[in-house]
Amino acid sequence: MTSTTAVSVAPTLHAGETIRRSDRRLGIVMLAPALLYIALLVAVPFLLALFLSLTNSSAGSLEFSFVGLQNFENVIASPVFRRALRNTFVFTFVSQLAVIVLGNVLARALMKSFHGKAIARFLILLPWAAPISLATLGWLWIFDSTFSVINWLLKVAGWLGPGQWYYWLGDPTLGMVAVIMIHVWRMLPFSTVILLAGLTSIPNEVREASAIDGAGLFSRIFRIEIPMMKPLLTVAVLFGVVFTFTDMSVVYLLTRGGPYNSTHVLASLAFQEGVLGGDVGRGAAVAIFLVPVLVVLAIFMLRTSRRAEVV
Amino acid sequence: MARYHGFEGSTSRRDFLKLAAAGAASASAGATWRPRKADAKPAQITFMRESSYVKEFDEHFKNVLIPRYQAETGIKIVYEIIAAGGSAVPRTVAIVESKAPVDAGWVQQEWLYREGLLDVSDIAKDVGKQQGGWYSEIEGLSVWEGKWRSVPFGNIGQCMVYRRDWFDQAGITAFPDTWEEFLEAGTKLKKAGHPYGMSMGHGFADNNSWLLPLLWGFGGQVVAKDGKTITLDSAETARAVDYVRKLYKDACLDDCVGWLDPANNKAFLTSQISCTNNAMSILISAKRDLPDMGKVTDHAPNPKGPKGRFHSFVPVTHGIFSHTPDPAAAKHFLRWLMDPKQVAAWYRSAQMYHAPFLHAYDKDEEWNKEPRFKPYQKVLETGKLVSWPAPADRRAGEVVNKWIVIDMFAKACTGTPTKTVIADGVAGLKQIYG
Repeated sequence: MTSTTAVSVAPTLHAGETIRRSDRRLGIVMLAPALLYIALLVAVPFLLALFLSLTNSSAGSLEFSFVGLQNFENVIASPVFRRALRNTFVFTFVSQLAVIVLGNVLARALMKSFHGKAIARFLILLPWAAPISLATLGWLWIFDSTFSVINWLLKVAGWLGPGQWYYWLGDPTLGMVAVIMIHVWRMLPFSTVILLAGLTSIPNEVREASAIDGAGLFSRIFRIEIPMMKPLLTVAVLFGVVFTFTDMSVVYLLTRGGPYNSTHVLASLAFQEGVLGGDVGRGAAVAIFLVPVLVVLAIFMLRTSRRAEVV
Repeated sequence: MARYHGFEGSTSRRDFLKLAAAGAASASAGATWRPRKADAKPAQITFMRESSYVKEFDEHFKNVLIPRYQAETGIKIVYEIIAAGGSAVPRTVAIVESKAPVDAGWVQQEWLYREGLLDVSDIAKDVGKQQGGWYSEIEGLSVWEGKWRSVPFGNIGQCMVYRRDWFDQAGITAFPDTWEEFLEAGTKLKKAGHPYGMSMGHGFADNNSWLLPLLWGFGGQVVAKDGKTITLDSAETARAVDYVRKLYKDACLDDCVGWLDPANNKAFLTSQISCTNNAMSILISAKRDLPDMGKVTDHAPNPKGPKGRFHSFVPVTHGIFSHTPDPAAAKHFLRWLMDPKQVAAWYRSAQMYHAPFLHAYDKDEEWNKEPRFKPYQKVLETGKLVSWPAPADRRAGEVVNKWIVIDMFAKACTGTPTKTVIADGVAGLKQIYG
């Protein structure tokens, strides 16, 4: 009996081991393209940027010298860099806050039934599909010194008195406001869709139970919905923050960092220094400053997300 | 400072790039960019150019020149067109850095990547001899270390563009001859509701084209002729800064400190401003799309300062990328393009929008067809490269592309004291010139 069992179990173990091994091989094969892609398009350029930031390499030139940390010292000493660093944080956090708050409002509105919901949904998603270069052309008219529709609305509403006028792209503060507005407009659809998915995934029974227990709107949002949506919310915020932190398209298309370098973010400044200015080493040094912040953000957000999953 | 000597004694960053990209080499297995045999005729030549604000210019190239070359040689010309307004420089730098499959093209701001351009001295010298000789100022851009790295084409002239009807209504019958008169006229016009719109943002042409000539006219300079000594901090610069601050306050639309290049065209064509500094594209657009405005739009040279009248060049040149697999074929095409049989009609197709750097066209009949374009021809006589009086080298290009001088003026306009803006400008220059 014993020997029979032994004979029958041995081939099973062998087959299981083979399947596990082939599973592992299959896993490696399936992962390889993604890993190769990341290595070639992320790791290699990153290492190259790190290397270039330690040199005086310039665009189009075949020669360079190692300059140690000189590029970093120069960059830190530059008031334009410090302003761009501050702008990057302002740009990221203000726009993400606005996106999450407004996305929440829109997602809640889209959960209700109303006439024209399909059209509303289409219009909300439209900015996500519009090429940013074309959209910015439209925004350039919206911020035009004479024809700005925002200014005319503010005038009609009485916000702007006689002789008062906003010159959106000619003023450092208003220039940043304009950049943030376009970015919020651009990111809002993505955030809305994610939040809508999160809200619809909460069972109705939970909401009904909270209503029976007398939970108000804010209690329901902060004590039930947000904790239940935390993993999804974390992904949305992480994606939004990383995307915003590294984005230069709106700044480049709208102001090119002007007036007088007051609206630069790190990514646009790196482009100005490294490509337009031809100082590749310095441009790389500016870009490298994005890395530690992004790493800290990623670790923080992923840990928060993981904790939420465990709970 | 240790010199880098990695990879078998080479000092080339390319070698590092090659090593770093070794893993990606297999991905290029299917690429069509391969060296050809010296005696083989290429199937095609890729020519890159920024789109022109004058559409007839591009149309002439596409519909006349390309088919003609193809019919004569059997070689296909692939025309890679890049949107105007600032994307050509990054694209060209990327072509040189990555050795992208482009043979030749329009090489704006070549000081950034001259090492990546082929010696075209033979073509430039022959074309010059054949067509009256080159304007000497442009040689400072095209000739580098004794060799022509590009063949000059033309200057996109920048002059004052103004509304003659509004100037007349304000009692200004002739365009101001000096910067002081320009301020006086602007003050009157702004009071009448027709301010100037003088670009001071991060554009590539319409800002430098009046601020640098103004600085030079007041006697200021950014860097001395030796290309080393920073000369920006001077009483002349301070006077120029004070003047621009006053001009902005008394005569300009507030918004113009943040304007990119298209903004003043838009403002002029929508009657927001009475004067700006621009190429002749505003008048060309007005005549085509807004005939009434076309009748009352006029041009004038930049006003003169205590040290004279200046203009700055926005030069267009053509070059051949040194990584082209077939230099002879690319050279043949460029030589053919610059032959009078081709190039004369090409210049005329855009109504001399690209004022030829060749003296043979100084008295070309095309200049007489629209007398209002004549100031743009005169720009060639008083025009300087933006680096002037310093050499047009990489560092001068960095100054331009980091908008150091432009930002000095723009900051002054919004209230920063003169001493501070000049000190900021000098600090920026020191980071570049050491």
